[in-house]
Amino acid sequence: MLWVALILPPRPPAPFEDPSTAPPPHPWGICAETQAGLAVWCLQFTPRVALMEDAVVMEVEASLRLFRGLPALKARLSDEAPDLGAVGIGWAPSATAALVLARCGVLDLGGRLLQAVLDPLPLQALSAGAEHAEPLSRAGINTLGQLRALPRGGIGRRFGAALLTMLDQAYGLRPEAHAWVALPEDFHARVELPCREDHAPALLLGTRPLLMRLCGWLAARHAGATGVTLHWVHDSMRAKDAGEGGCLTIRTAEPIRELEHFCRLMAEHLAKTQLLAPVGELRLEAVGVQALVEDSGSLLPDVVRTGETLYLTLERIAARLGPERVQQPVLGDDHRPEWQTRWRPCGDGRTTSRRKGRQAAVRAPAVPEPAFLLDPPLRLAVREHRPHYQGPLTLLVGPDRVEGGWWDRIPDTKAHRQVTRDYWIAVNENAGVLAVYQERLSGTGNGDDDKSAVQAWFLHGMYA
Amino acid sequence: MPLPPAVAEAIWRGDALGRGTDTVWPSGFDALDADLPGGGWPGRQLTEVLLPQFSLAEWRLAGPALRRVVAGGAAVAMVGPPKRPHLPGLMHLGLDERHLVWIDARAPSERLWCTEQLIKSNAAGAVLAWLPQAAPEQLRRLQVLAQSFEGPVFLFRPLTARHDPSPAPLRVLATIDVDWALDVQILKRKGPAHETPLRLASIPGGLEHVLTPRVMRPSTMRPVAPMTVPGVDVADTVNESAGKAQVSAGPLLETVSESLHEPVALTLFPEFSHVVGRTDPAASSAGTV
Repeated sequence: MLWVALILPPRPPAPFEDPSTAPPPHPWGICAETQAGLAVWCLQFTPRVALMEDAVVMEVEASLRLFRGLPALKARLSDEAPDLGAVGIGWAPSATAALVLARCGVLDLGGRLLQAVLDPLPLQALSAGAEHAEPLSRAGINTLGQLRALPRGGIGRRFGAALLTMLDQAYGLRPEAHAWVALPEDFHARVELPCREDHAPALLLGTRPLLMRLCGWLAARHAGATGVTLHWVHDSMRAKDAGEGGCLTIRTAEPIRELEHFCRLMAEHLAKTQLLAPVGELRLEAVGVQALVEDSGSLLPDVVRTGETLYLTLERIAARLGPERVQQPVLGDDHRPEWQTRWRPCGDGRTTSRRKGRQAAVRAPAVPEPAFLLDPPLRLAVREHRPHYQGPLTLLVGPDRVEGGWWDRIPDTKAHRQVTRDYWIAVNENAGVLAVYQERLSGTGNGDDDKSAVQAWFLHGMYA
Repeated sequence: MPLPPAVAEAIWRGDALGRGTDTVWPSGFDALDADLPGGGWPGRQLTEVLLPQFSLAEWRLAGPALRRVVAGGAAVAMVGPPKRPHLPGLMHLGLDERHLVWIDARAPSERLWCTEQLIKSNAAGAVLAWLPQAAPEQLRRLQVLAQSFEGPVFLFRPLTARHDPSPAPLRVLATIDVDWALDVQILKRKGPAHETPLRLASIPGGLEHVLTPRVMRPSTMRPVAPMTVPGVDVADTVNESAGKAQVSAGPLLETVSESLHEPVALTLFPEFSHVVGRTDPAASSAGTV
């Protein structure tokens, strides 16, 4: 058995708190919400998590290998738990002993026997001992070792059986019973900011612990979220038109539970947010929680997983540039080149589902196609009946008639995108290989030029 | 004294081509592979491609190597291409909709930032970035980051950057030849200087199926000499139209352009260039590139 105890600090008194709405005081003077949040976060490591006095204790012996061994897990807990409010960590073979160590600022046994470590520790570290510390210290009993050396019958008669029970539990002589924390079905986290914030990017500092709790909750459920919603509640001393608060929803292309990615997306979005009034409270909800298929660990050195991280990178870019500027193509069935490719924002459902589908080989189109398109086509100068673009163009192959589009109406007008074009492959030494087309401008739907029935040349694509 | 084979293999001599990096992507051109260190486009470093203008030969030069990149399932990311990429054309290079990402970055700082993010994450299979403006120190930053990026990184830059210092270990100058070829000159590489430009046969976009023997040498198909309209002297027309222009510009423009002398009308009335089309090559290239 290997127990970890995470101690929480006493809750600071809130001077402006309304006593009627204040939460009921915790018997140990800590914030009950912080303790529950820490317990939810701990559930990702083991299902054996319990609330104990002013701490959260968990039993992690069976989880060591999953989290890459004891040193790695120790480092991770020491690194992350302080962000969630833990002020002390102790590792010991029993929950009570871990709690005692955490209170005394001792991290672990350090290779010694439990008895040797516990004996010199002060009596007050044991909660039952702290109750009777005064009479005991008058009798010269200040450490756990001195207490243990006294006759048990006398202690039981004078101070009650509870002190003996807890002492035995600390030394691992008597079993402990815990009420395990159950994983909540829905994730709601709330935090009251230590001071009022009126600058949106500064909210990230308060959001990060909430996101950590979210990621812990998701890990415990073996799930990922496709989004998070951050609500903020304005301070009670706000302007009338500011409203109760606001919210910000962030969506991701795929269900994820990576803290750093959530934080980066949140930072990009908060940087664009304006707060109407100072904010005193934050709430976080998970959106679209789905089961996440995790990759198996491998004995061999890992091959870098490419697919997922590319999407994370693109989401970060999209958060800064705007989603409409990070695009993936979808092939359309049309003969008009400009409608053959639809560029959709990355992470759009259609492209994602296609990406996961078949992995057939690419079938090249049967006809030559340019690599770049001009949007809109550029009308070319004509000299001596010959189109010019950076010099006279030599027409090589053609004409290739593309006619169609009468079905494609421009919304709210009577016009439609009918085209009648004769495509040619043209070349010159400056511009390279080009796709140009000739169009008769009268009666083709482009109503403006009906008067002048001229053949016009357009540059439409480049075989770059 | 002859060196032991293991030592001799590990030594790079200045007159031999360097081995480049451990990851190399064959360029698809045998002649080019023979002159590139390591025998292909290098991974883990920048490759700078200088072009006289953008959207000239990017895919023709870099495209054949990308087929192998996407065959492994990795995606090709384009940062700030000069025109709208056309998927059917890229499918001729073996790219498809699952393997293409178009990042429409516009400002120079955006282009650099997006390129940096892509390189840093090492998630895309290849990065193609068009950088019209980039300072050497910005490229140096990319080069340092590129050491952790396995695929090739192509930075397309204008020809004007040729004499700027560049931290990219491989710099290539590419121009086109109308007879279905690319002229490639390696400006900088690990190894001896590259003297003679390479001529690489390249037919883009599936055109090899439709080209007839007659059009295999477009350079012999020069445009015909300008037609002379009988009875009209060009100089006279200029003087005449200059005189009439003060009276009525509209009807005159029609008569002039109908008599196959748009250049004259345009030099007189540049504001009407949108009516008869652009004639100045420099102006049209500036408007579209």
